[in-house]
Amino acid sequence: MSSLVSRRAMLAGGGAIAASLATGVAAERILPSAMIPLIGPGYRPIDVDERGLWQQYARVEEEIAGSNLLIKDPALTAYLRDLIGKVGGPAAKDMRIYLARIPDFNAVMFPTGFAVVFSGLLLRMRNEAQLAGVIAHESGHFLRKHQLRQWRDQRRKTDIFSILAVGAGVAGAGVGIYTGQIAQLGQLGTILSLLQYNRTLEAEADAMGARLLAENGYPPIEMANTWQQLIDEEKLSAKYRRKRYHRDISLLSTHPAPESRMADLRISASELTVPGRAYDNGRARYLAAIADIRPMLLDDQVKLNDPGASQYIIDTLAKDGWNGLLRFYEAEIWRLRNRAGDDLRAAQGYAAALAYPDAPADAWRWHGLMLMKQGHAAESRAALSHYLAMKPNAPDAAFVRQMLMEPNR
Amino acid sequence: MIRKLSCLALALSIAGCTGGVGGGEYGFNSPYSLVRATDITVGDDSLVVTAPHEWNRARPFFFDDVRWVEDWTLNGPSLDSMSFVSGLPGGKYLVRQSRRADRQVPKFRSDMTAPEVAAMIESLYRVRAGTVDFRTIALQPRPFVGTNGFQFDYEHLDTDELWRRGRAVGAVVNGELYLIILDGARSHYFDAAAPDFEAIVNSARIRR
Repeated sequence: MSSLVSRRAMLAGGGAIAASLATGVAAERILPSAMIPLIGPGYRPIDVDERGLWQQYARVEEEIAGSNLLIKDPALTAYLRDLIGKVGGPAAKDMRIYLARIPDFNAVMFPTGFAVVFSGLLLRMRNEAQLAGVIAHESGHFLRKHQLRQWRDQRRKTDIFSILAVGAGVAGAGVGIYTGQIAQLGQLGTILSLLQYNRTLEAEADAMGARLLAENGYPPIEMANTWQQLIDEEKLSAKYRRKRYHRDISLLSTHPAPESRMADLRISASELTVPGRAYDNGRARYLAAIADIRPMLLDDQVKLNDPGASQYIIDTLAKDGWNGLLRFYEAEIWRLRNRAGDDLRAAQGYAAALAYPDAPADAWRWHGLMLMKQGHAAESRAALSHYLAMKPNAPDAAFVRQMLMEPNR
Repeated sequence: MIRKLSCLALALSIAGCTGGVGGGEYGFNSPYSLVRATDITVGDDSLVVTAPHEWNRARPFFFDDVRWVEDWTLNGPSLDSMSFVSGLPGGKYLVRQSRRADRQVPKFRSDMTAPEVAAMIESLYRVRAGTVDFRTIALQPRPFVGTNGFQFDYEHLDTDELWRRGRAVGAVVNGELYLIILDGARSHYFDAAAPDFEAIVNSARIRR
């Protein structure tokens, strides 16, 4: 392989592509039925390469397990552990799963059988089946020994590869694409960005994952739906910033992969769906599991002021029904976007949120502030008083009380 | 801190934040110059403060120079920093950023209230500093540059796994934002620099 090809390809989003460019990998669907797990319960590394890899990753896992970026909520982590235990295939009981507070659409599986799920993934999943699909996909990488296979393939270029990937701010892992700004992530983020798989391996993990999903009674089509959501979110985010979607999402620009992977997943899903069998997407269970952190997940996303992505996420979640929390964060998107007319749009959004019984206290706060700016003093006071009544110890209570006292407001 | 954030974001794509020519006490290539313990004009020179001790002023960084913004530090920007905003006009941003960046620090508007300025500061951290957890400790009234201003206290956990603490004292005067921010590691550095910060905030006045 010429260095030019490999460098370009790496900058384009993964050494993975370099391999397929050079070898001309055929785009043929991998059959779920062909995906036999290569790893069973209690698996230990066999040869020298693998033992070395396991040793290195034991240190990485130690680092991750001790990170203060992890969300350690016991109920939620138990839920994730149960989920990987369910869809993790034959080695499920040996797998570990960590939840990192990073507002990006990502999940990563490490060669020794531990996974890191980003909080941004939990925000975007509409039901348990979608999350189980991502986890099953990740488990597929482990069960099919992808890390070892890829590492052998790429050993010679690993170092330069990681430098380039970080330097370009581009990395793909887990679900396939990582679109966050790696330059802002610290050590943990850098570690997470280094695992990338080539297209064939991703297709294998898709097929394996779809199979694990169906075997556990989840509708396998949800994997394709997750992919669709990722692609559409990227498109809308790019459109808002007046970019062409293909230009900045490099993995997508050099390859029709996401679309073709999605098409393959749809075919695999219909192949795996047994007519007459009842599939449960586990939506109620999922919402109950993330209920406590959902406001935080929305907050973390919306305050990044990426209006296209945030709007897409909220619209997608709202397909299952609007509520006060989603309406409030929709208004927050407009307030932070801050284009001409957005203040009015946000004001209307806060007012709309208050029509729902679950409107958060902050909806009253911002509703009151917007009314004040519009010169509606009496209504503003009423809303701000309502906010203080709901949240008497709010961190900004002192400031709001002063606003209530000022005669000219 | 404000410019430091831009530096961190750019540090991987260019050699580093050593921009700027000139001498001073720190030598030809130093990214810092010495701030004497006396009256100093900051930003675009419309804000005057009195430094009780010597500080280090980050040189204007030619890629990322917002003329109303200036950064100081004592022990290096990842441990502590003080930032000055000297009358940012409506429609401008605290940092230079690409119009096409997916994630953007919101634009300042002249009619912003203190809660909106506080929210803008929060997004600055989340968008530019990789802050994953941001907690507001307090937002309260505080006189600043001879007018009714605000004090915003907060803590943030960044992706380098360090908790930092911040305090921003500011006011919007004639539609322009005046602001001084202290940001530092929650253990030791913030508290160590806090007395200087308080003295500087209390000494701040607008030069007309």
